[in-house]
Order: sequence, then structure tokens, then C-alpha cells
Amino acid sequence: MRKVAIYGKGGIGKSTTTQNTVAALGEMGKRVMVIGCDPKADSTRLLLGGLVQGTVLDTLREEGEDVELGDVMRTGFADCRCVESGGPEPGVGCAGRGIITSINLLEQLGAYEEDKQLDYAFYDVLGDVVCGGFAMPIREGKAEEIYIVVSGEMMAMYAANNICKGIRKFADAGGVRLGGLICNSRNVDNEREMIEQLAAKLGTQMVHFVPRDNIVQRAEINRKTVIDYEPDCGQADEYRTLASNIENNDMFVIPKPIEIEDLENLLVEYGMV
Amino acid sequence: MSTSSSLPFEEFRGEIAKAYPSKVGKKRMKSMIQATPREPREIQANVRTVPGIISQRGCTYAGCKGVVLGPTRDIVNITHGPIGCGFYSWLTRRNQTRPETPESENYMTYCFSTDMQDEHIVFGGETRLKEAIQEAYDLFHPKAIAVFSTCPVGLIGDDVHAVAREMKAKFGDCNVFGFSCEGYKGVSQSAGHHIANNQIFKHVVGTEDEAPEGEFRVNLLGEYNIGGDAFEIEELFEACGITLVSTFSGNSTVSHFARAHHADLNLVMCHRSINYLAEMMETKYGIPWMKVNFIGAAATAKALRKVGEYFGDEALKAKIEKVVAGKLTETQEYAAEVRKRTQGKTAMLFVGGSRAHHYQELFKELGMKTIAAGYEFGHRDDYEGRTVIPDITIDADTRNIEELKVERDPELYRERKTEAELEALKAKGLEIADYEGMIPDMDPEAFVIDDVSHYELEKLMEHYKPDLICAGIKEKYAVQKWGVPLKQLHNYDYGGPYAAFGGARNFYEEIDRMVGSKLWDMVTPPWLRPLEPRPVEIV
Amino acid sequence: MLLRHTSTDVAERNALTVNPAKTCQPIGAMYAALGIHGCLPHSHGSQGCCSYHRSTLTRHYKEPVMAATSSFTEGASVFGGQANLLKAIETIFSVYKPEVIAVHSTCLSETIGDDLNQIVQKARDDGKVPEGKKVIFASTPSYVGSHVTGYANMVQGIIRGLVERHAEPTGKLNIIPGWCEPADMAEIKRIALAMGADVTMFPDTSNVMNAPMTGKHEFYPRGGATLEELSRAGDAAYTIGLGKFTAGPGAEMMDKNFSTPHSLQDLPYGLAATDRYIMALKRVTGGDVPEELNTERGRLLDMMTDMHQYLHGKRVAIFGDPDLLVPLTEFLRDLDMRPVQVISGTPGKAFAKRMKELFEGRNAQVNIKNGQGADMFLLHQWMKNEPVDLLIGNSYGKYIARDEDTSFLRMGFPILDRVGHSYFPYVGYTGAMRLLEKMLGLFMDRQDRDAPEERFELAM
Repeated sequence: MRKVAIYGKGGIGKSTTTQNTVAALGEMGKRVMVIGCDPKADSTRLLLGGLVQGTVLDTLREEGEDVELGDVMRTGFADCRCVESGGPEPGVGCAGRGIITSINLLEQLGAYEEDKQLDYAFYDVLGDVVCGGFAMPIREGKAEEIYIVVSGEMMAMYAANNICKGIRKFADAGGVRLGGLICNSRNVDNEREMIEQLAAKLGTQMVHFVPRDNIVQRAEINRKTVIDYEPDCGQADEYRTLASNIENNDMFVIPKPIEIEDLENLLVEYGMV
Repeated sequence: MSTSSSLPFEEFRGEIAKAYPSKVGKKRMKSMIQATPREPREIQANVRTVPGIISQRGCTYAGCKGVVLGPTRDIVNITHGPIGCGFYSWLTRRNQTRPETPESENYMTYCFSTDMQDEHIVFGGETRLKEAIQEAYDLFHPKAIAVFSTCPVGLIGDDVHAVAREMKAKFGDCNVFGFSCEGYKGVSQSAGHHIANNQIFKHVVGTEDEAPEGEFRVNLLGEYNIGGDAFEIEELFEACGITLVSTFSGNSTVSHFARAHHADLNLVMCHRSINYLAEMMETKYGIPWMKVNFIGAAATAKALRKVGEYFGDEALKAKIEKVVAGKLTETQEYAAEVRKRTQGKTAMLFVGGSRAHHYQELFKELGMKTIAAGYEFGHRDDYEGRTVIPDITIDADTRNIEELKVERDPELYRERKTEAELEALKAKGLEIADYEGMIPDMDPEAFVIDDVSHYELEKLMEHYKPDLICAGIKEKYAVQKWGVPLKQLHNYDYGGPYAAFGGARNFYEEIDRMVGSKLWDMVTPPWLRPLEPRPVEIV
Repeated sequence: MLLRHTSTDVAERNALTVNPAKTCQPIGAMYAALGIHGCLPHSHGSQGCCSYHRSTLTRHYKEPVMAATSSFTEGASVFGGQANLLKAIETIFSVYKPEVIAVHSTCLSETIGDDLNQIVQKARDDGKVPEGKKVIFASTPSYVGSHVTGYANMVQGIIRGLVERHAEPTGKLNIIPGWCEPADMAEIKRIALAMGADVTMFPDTSNVMNAPMTGKHEFYPRGGATLEELSRAGDAAYTIGLGKFTAGPGAEMMDKNFSTPHSLQDLPYGLAATDRYIMALKRVTGGDVPEELNTERGRLLDMMTDMHQYLHGKRVAIFGDPDLLVPLTEFLRDLDMRPVQVISGTPGKAFAKRMKELFEGRNAQVNIKNGQGADMFLLHQWMKNEPVDLLIGNSYGKYIARDEDTSFLRMGFPILDRVGHSYFPYVGYTGAMRLLEKMLGLFMDRQDRDAPEERFELAM
């Protein structure tokens, strides 16, 4: 089983990208589990056709120690397994701790055991690696390959670089590696070249450049992935390419985070000139 | 310690420094001085303990909930956090209390906790806390409920103060207040003392108008009634005609605190843990404070006489003299008897924030020499005297603790003594708003070590072979394995009281037992001793 | 009355724990780590945790408890505890020179999400762990489970960090004792040796937490499982775990990680549990039960039959940890005593299930509660409503016992006000004899105290 975590700046389109990729993998016949690590619990909405009822943490709160895997896991598009960690309302408690608790629980419940015959486990993680809890998916024995969703905007690239710092920290202890950057285009000038250059500087690759297309939004309004909503459109093929690039990826590195000045120079070079 | 034959101080320090990683060694050196060193006598204190060092120190929560608020019997103290903190601070400090009647409130035998679970960390614990406060109120209808924050509460951002305000308003007849005393807030228990002082001052002191009867009204600050010490002092005050309004906080109640502003003098025992309250009460209510020590017979007599001097009343002074005359001689005679066996013995004291200083008095009275001493959570002023306060560097850890802005209360402020009168009293040797610290009272050759590590303690024993060590439970059995008796000065090992005249007598008796016992000589079995010329046979 | 505010009316409580019958995970981890020879436990959190655990363990065992701390301050809580732990590891190896450091987390380091595995690996990579020395770790959040869970988690930390499997099997038997006294651990080992087993026991706190007075403080006392023994434990033929809650997860891990088959039994308190322990040993060794153990069993049964008259029907309330409560309740039941109230703060449905099974088909009224809401306040209320003849539990029980004028036997953790528990076992047949002697003494002393003069008796 390959364990993949998707990170990236908040609002960059991680959940959409993840779910479309998972849908494409599912279409290819892969057995995939998605674990949403965001208190909003919206990482599986497009695969399930609506927000999940009963996140891991809610269930744990209600059922105490009697939780079973079936209570927290749902089956969605293309037979993929969907789990939402869940978490507190904004402004209270500790969402990071929530991720730690729910991943521990999934392990206890045997969600990753061989008998589940999974090909992939995908972690969709909220935003940046803001605290220890959000690093949980990249700790030892959890996600082994990371993809960072990024765009040509300064803050997205800044966040990607920061996430690389996090990966580097954990790469020594566990086996976690960076699989590449996924550019979710914002139609910034020279975006493809800039992200390719950023990837090169970080010592990694751009696995795919996903162009911007309004079909994604239309599918989302219908609570579907593009693959599900309009399987024949060009954007669906883009996600299929992304999925197969991930499937065939063999470049896994410990990233080399760059200095902030280098990042700014990159923007000057590609963005402003 | 025979100073001539044993390791000189600088060499000792050098040996210690070498054992640590070099940066750690350098840091520790600043916390070790001689009472009269060749260099300036500045000692490093109240700084972070290096991670990995086996230290005596505890945390902010322990200082706040355990030390200062622990001994007040009619507050329901709820620990907001996982179960451990509440459990470990449950009855373990031997604070005694004497409720007025068999029905009077006493919650000190209880442990109250919100027993936070994983889900409360993730989703926030405020609802849980509110519910717990409500349940405590419904069960007991106490006068006051206090809430103590533990580490995770600070991290997840539960607002205990907002919850306390809300519940107080809801009940109407119960004072609810909170303490942000998360364990990580400071470098030792000391931060917790300060936080406790602030909140008691803000939420309790001055809230009851009724003035206690009495001509000479005092508060006793920094006396926690461990092993019944406060009972001894209370008895003494009563015999002298001194009215004790409130003790902070041994054998106390919320009402005592609430009326404390009626006192005309604050007597400070443990300077470290309570000087904040003394200062704030002086600013707001005009009550002068004076450092005293009721540990040791002579010190007790001195402290009482100073109180007499402060009030300047001849009848009071005469009464004090009468009480002192009876007790002091009797106690001193007993000390003389014990001294025959204790004279010249050596002691080391590593404890607390004032005890390592106060108890040197008792050893002096037994003819014993304190060869090394240090505090667990003292500041520089506790060592060097309050004159150094302006020079103390304010670091990030200190800044972390709120400094209350206190102003003169327009209605309740009352000047007890004029500036000139206070100056005159100071000239007579009263430590008014002052504390000279531990060092001036020590032998110039003696070592002063702050926040001693376990390693340093064992090295001190190895080189200087004291006859007795005073420290706490964590050191006790390790020290005794070396054949050196250890007296716990946090909780007195089920013993006490040791304060005032009766207490001094108990202490002499205890030390006599400890340093005189032949038990320690039985370590080596006969088969490991030189053979007797003839086999020992009974006849 | 010391607990004067405890009323007879039992009101539903949802959020307030009063007088807990448990404490937090890290102290259990610290105790388990002390059962490794040359090990310095390390608390990754603020200083108070370490100080509280050391104090409580010291007050219970009356022995030095050496342990270090990461001394978190506000900065570490915000920026993560990595720097503190790295510094601590360096300082500890430099000053205290242990063979192994056993790090456990706290609610503080767990909440900020410190990854002990990553930090410890970094310490190794940075050269802060000297050649041949070990750093092991266990995650022990204080807001999950109880001290019992912490013990079990550190046992697993020991297995993960120190146990290996080589090609050559040793044919030895691993014993993982649940949380019990050092004297109990020694007795468990003695019985296994008497059965002819070649034993590796871990944790083993005997000769650590009941070390002799020799005129020297051994920073790392003689006892404890050695690193060498532990490194070969994966090659053992069999593992016996004693105590579902404290030893169960470790025994299962041995099975899973090293394919050593395991048997899980109760801690051998009382006759039946000791019988089962010996049968488990017999299945491993295949040998006969030696005369020595037969005689001990016979003596115990002799004492049980002799004392039956005085013990039967006595109503008992018990509080403490599941692995003690289950076999102890069984023993009392077998003596025809009536354990009527049982409380444990430690959560786990398995406990209530086991307890219910003990009374299946018997016409017994037993109040059993564990986990949330199961505290000593509730137990005291039960006792007020239905008085008992004997209360068994840790030292905190003495406040209830005095108020209710109930006989009180100290068993469990912590015992802060007596000496002896660490030196004399309660497990095995001889341990059960000691338990009988103590109980009978309490009942008879009471009878002698309360009897009118004309009924004051000399001979039994």
C-alpha cells in the first residue's frame, strides 16, 4: 500500500485535487482510502456526494471505546473508502491533537491492515504544517510520500517551502519523502515554468500542471468530482494524467528548502520580468 | 566540614563543571558561590533549569494550587486538566487545618478535577469546566470555587477566567475565580506563587467589611501550617494579645482573606512566596509589612519583640516579654542539653524559598554549622537581600507573569505609620519592607548553591560529608543510602510542628535523634570488618 | 469527620471527578522504566510532572527514584520540545551515564504534537547518543486511560526499543508482570524458576525499588532486566503476560513482532489466579509442579479453611487498578466473603465484563463501576448507603475508613503512610497467606475492640 499525504496552503485546492485524483485512481481500479485531516470535514464531500455524517472524533465522543471501523468509514465514488477526522469548531480546543487522536484510532481499528487490500491511503491535510498535530500524517509509519499542491502565487510557494522544512525534519526519522509539487493553476504569468524551477530548486519535480477550468466548480456545486460529473471533459483527463503520474512516480526525495531571498528572486525572475 | 583538609570551593566547582556539557557547566557555575566570595556575591537564581538535569523543582501549578491555595479549607479547588495534577497535589503537603466546628466547611481532604479526556483537548474544555463548577456548587454550596489551569488548558486556549466570571454571576452567592497557572509558565514553583498572590488579591482580599476585634491586628503571610506550625504561632499571638486577622494561608478560610485589609501590620515569613501580596496590600490599603522568622527560639523572641516595637504599646511589650521570658529560657535550656551531642556537627540545606535560610537558626542554636545551603525556587533577593531587586534582569520567563497595577484604594486606604515613623522603626532594626536574604547570615566559608542538581548534591556529600542534610522527599532516600540522615523540610516527615518555641523544641529533639543514632554505623556487617581477636560469644 | 461533605444521596455527576481512583499515564511509564537495569526515566514535559511522579513513587516505595525532565517553559510549549529533549539527552548521558534513557511524553508535549520518534532519531543522528547506549520512548498522554495505561505503553516502548530477534532461539520464557510491587515481581519470578523455567522478566523492579542499604547510593541499583537479556527476549520460546491492562498489550506485541506465542493471565493474587499462573508455566515447561509449590498451596488452603468461619459473609468495598481488582475480587469470592462495591478510575469495558463473569450464576449483589464517574467519592456514598466490614485500597482510603469506622487494608498504589508493601509479596500462595493474615487480624482486632467485656474471648 502506498501512503500519500497532500499538503499545501489553505484554499489552494487540496481537497478538490485530492478527490479528483482519488476518483481517477479508483477509475483505474485502485482501492483507495481517503483520510480527511481537516476539522471542517470536507475532504470527502465530492466522493461521497455530500458532507460525511459521523467524523472519527464525533464518533469517539459519542461511542466512547466501542468504535468500530464501519462507524467512521464510508464508501464513495469508485468504491473508495472515506474517513473524516473531524475536529473542533474554529477557535476552541486543539485541532492538531484531533488529528493525532483519530489517526491513532484508525491504526487501532486496523484500517491499514493487509486484509483491507488497499493500494493507496491518502491524507488530505489542512493548510500548512502549523503545529505538531498537523505533522502527524508524516510521522513514521504513516504517509510515506508527500505531494504539495501549489500555485504561482507568492504565499502558496512560501507555504510549499515551509512544508518542505517539515518533511525534512521527519525524513530522517521515518521514511517520508517528497513525491513532487502539483501545480493547481491560478493563471499566474509563467506559472508552469516558475513552479518547475521551484521544484528543481527544492530538489523535486512538478508531477503535473493542472490548468484552471470552471468545470471543477460546477462539479463541486453538484457535490461531485469532475471525473464523476463530466467524465469526458478535458479537465477529467488532466486529473487522470495526474493520477497516473503519481501511480508511476519513482522520484522520492528529501527536499532542500530554499532561503526566502531565493524564493523572492524566483518570483522576480518569472513573475515580474 | 574541616575546611583545611577538604576540597577548596573553586576546585569543587571545577569538578562539577567538568561533569556537565561545557555550556551547561558554565551556566551552573553562576549558581554556585561562597557566602563571602572573592568576587562580587551575585548569585544566579530563578533561571531555567537545564533540560536533563535532575532538579528538585516543580512547576507553576504546584506553586499556585499546591503551595499557596492548598491550605485554605473552605475553597473548592478544582483542577482543570487531566487527572494527574489534581491527584498529586491531594493532601500531600501536610497542611493542617482546624475547622471551627465539626460542621464547618473543610474541602482540603477532597480532590476535585475536571479529569479532561482526549475529546476535551480536541474540542475544548470550557463546557466541561462549566459543568464541573455547576456540579460542585450543587453538591456543596461552597463560599468559593477556584479553578486551576494545567498545561494543556493553556495550549488549547480554554478561557478559565471567562468561565469563572460567568459562573460567579450565575450563582450570586459563590465567589468563583480562576488561575492561569499552567505548569510551563515559569522556571519553578515561584511563578505559581506570584500568580496565586495576584488572584487572591484581585478576587478575595478586601471583599468583607466586617473588621475583626482587637487592638493589635496582624496578618501572617507565607506560613502554610505544615505539620501544625501555624497553630504554634497562633497560640503565641494569643498569649501575647496580638490579633491574627488572617494567615496566608495556613489554617485559613476565605473570610480570613477577605478581611485581611483590616490588619495594621503584615508579617512576612516566606518572603519568596508571598512578598507580592505584602507589597500590593501596602499600596492599596496602607498596611506596612515586616519580615519575621518564627523558626528558632531566639528568632521567635526577636520576631515577637519586633511586633511589640512596631505597635509601640508598653502593655503589649510587657506581655510579650512575659511570654518570651517563660518560653525562651526553657527552650534554650533544652537546646543546651541537646547541644552537648550536636555541637560542631555539620548540615546542608537545599530547600524551598525561605526554609533553607530560616532553619539555619535552629542549627545555630544546636551549635551546628551550615556548610552549604540553597533554594529550590528562590530569587536573587532571597539570597542577597532586597537591595538587589533593581539590578535583577527581567527575563522572558518573569515577564510572562502578570504584574498587577495596584493603586491606593480611595475608601479603604488608611495610613498606619508615617514615613518618618517607619524610618525610625527601621533604625531600630525592624526589617520594614525589607529582607536581607540568606547570605548575610551565613558563615563566610559556606557554599551557596541555587537549584542544586542531584549530581551536585551527591558530590557535596562525597567531599564534605555532612552529618545531616535538609531537603525533600525526592532526595531523602538517595541521601540516606549514603548513611547520612535527611530531614524533609517541605513536609517534615510526618513530624512537626517546628515553628515558635514548642516547635523549636521538637526540632532539637528530632535532630538529636537523627545525628545521634548509631543505626547508620551498622552498614558494614561483621564479616566485612577486621576480624575480632577472639570470636564473640555470649556468656 | 474528615470527609464531612460526602452525602448519602448519589447525584448524577457528568464533569466533576471527586477523589479519583486513578492517576495519569506518565507515572506508570516511569515505574515500568525503572524495571530496566541502568535506565533513567525521562519526562518530556514541564518540570512539575517529573517532580510529582518522583515524589509519589518515592513516598510509596521509600526508595530513591531518579528521573530527569525536559523542563518545558513557555517557549518550548510554543516552539516544540525538540531542543529541550536533545539538550536533555546530551546532559543526561554526560552527567548521569545511564545505559538507556526511557522517554515518556506528557499532556503538554502530546498536545503540541512532539514526535518522540523523530526527536530521538535526530539525537542519534546528531551523535548525542553514545555508542552502545539506547534511548527508548513511549507516548503517554495524561488525558487518555490512566497510570495503568502508561505502564502498558512503556512496556511496549521497551519492546519496540530494546527487544530484538536473532537467528538462534534461546528457549527461554519471557514474563511480563503487570504493575505490582517489587516483592511481587520477585515472587512471580521465584515461582517460575521453581517450575524449572529459564526466565527473562521485564519490567523487573525488584532490587531497584526495594534496594538494600549499603552505605552507598547506587544510581542504577542491581535489579532490573538488563539490555543484554532484553535484546535476546525476541528469541524466547514463549511469553506470559500477567494482567490484561498492564501486561496484555506488551505480551501481544511480543507475539506480533517476534512470533513468540503468548499466554495472558491475571496477576497471581489469591489461590485460583496462582493456580492458573502455574498451569500456564506448566504448559511451557512441561515439567511437574515441585513439592515446594504444592506445600505452599496446601498451606494456603489450610489457612483458608481454618479462617473460613471468620471471613465468610464479610462485606468488602475495593478500589484500585483492574489488574489487582479482578484476581483480588475472585479470591474474596472464593473465601465466601462478599465483595459488594468495586471502583476503578481506569476505563475499559473489559474490566466490567471480567468482574461480571466472576459473579455469574451466583446470587450476588455487586456494585461495579470503572472509568468516568468511578471515583472514591461515589464509593464512599455507596458505603454510606450500604455499609461494609472492610475497605481495601490505597492510602487515600483511610479518610473514608476513619469516617465510617470501617476496617481498612492498604493494597494498591500509592501507599504513602505505611512501610512493608514493597518488601513482602501479596502474589502467589505465600502472598495470599499474608493477605489472609492481614484481613483476619483486622477483623479480630475489631471484634476485640468492640466486644463487651463479658464476651471478650481469648481462644479461637
